[in-house]
Amino acid sequence: MSSSRPDSSSLIVYVIVLLSLQMFLLVVALDGLLAREPRLAWVSAALSLLLFAGSWMFHRWMRR
Amino acid sequence: MARDDTTAPTDRSDDAAVAARAREVRGTTNEPIWRRDFPFTSAGEEAVTRREFGRYLVLASGAFAVGTLGIAAWAQARGGLPETDAAAILPAEDLEPGQSHLFRFPGPDDPAILVALEDSFVAYSQKCTHLGCVVYPEGDELECPCHEGYFDIRTGEVLRGPPERPLEQIAVDVRDDGMVWALGYLEAGE
Repeated sequence: MSSSRPDSSSLIVYVIVLLSLQMFLLVVALDGLLAREPRLAWVSAALSLLLFAGSWMFHRWMRR
Repeated sequence: MARDDTTAPTDRSDDAAVAARAREVRGTTNEPIWRRDFPFTSAGEEAVTRREFGRYLVLASGAFAVGTLGIAAWAQARGGLPETDAAAILPAEDLEPGQSHLFRFPGPDDPAILVALEDSFVAYSQKCTHLGCVVYPEGDELECPCHEGYFDIRTGEVLRGPPERPLEQIAVDVRDDGMVWALGYLEAGE
């Protein structure tokens, strides 16, 4: 039976890429902390939450 | 058609030979051939499906998001530059031009450095803005020895190396009593 959904392995790669971006954002937030720039840290946190939502959606999309 | 009739038995015999060879290599078990070359297993490795692995990744993603949020909240709570009371550092006459003096400001856990220039004094937080190592004067520069970061001794600006931001500068003043006083941290560009 064919399916239009992509294979779960490729989706895992997407999630890993998003995870890498989140690591970068964590470092940016730390830089905002050290530079006493809370706004930079909040923007990083918002983007990280967005990427988490994307990862979660990818996970929901995966086939068993 | 005649050609097909002649080739088909040959293909079947080749397949049988390959299968026989695979059985020989594999032995009596149904394990894949590569298992003989790499006979290492870890407990429960068969139990982790791709979907479960994906779930772990998403959990890690959530942990990163929560961690970043926590850092943002910490940065918010930490706020801007701390309000500090002025503190006397040392008598101005004790420091010749080119010399420096280490002190603590505003608290005992905040190392700072006072540098006497030709015509004035400058003071900075001694924490490098890269990863927090302490900086030391080296000629006309302040050097962070951890990762070779260099700052201008007159302005605190980054000259070269990995730091991205200038040193936090402390306003200083020589008062009538002859003492050099630390007044507080300057905002960036102040």
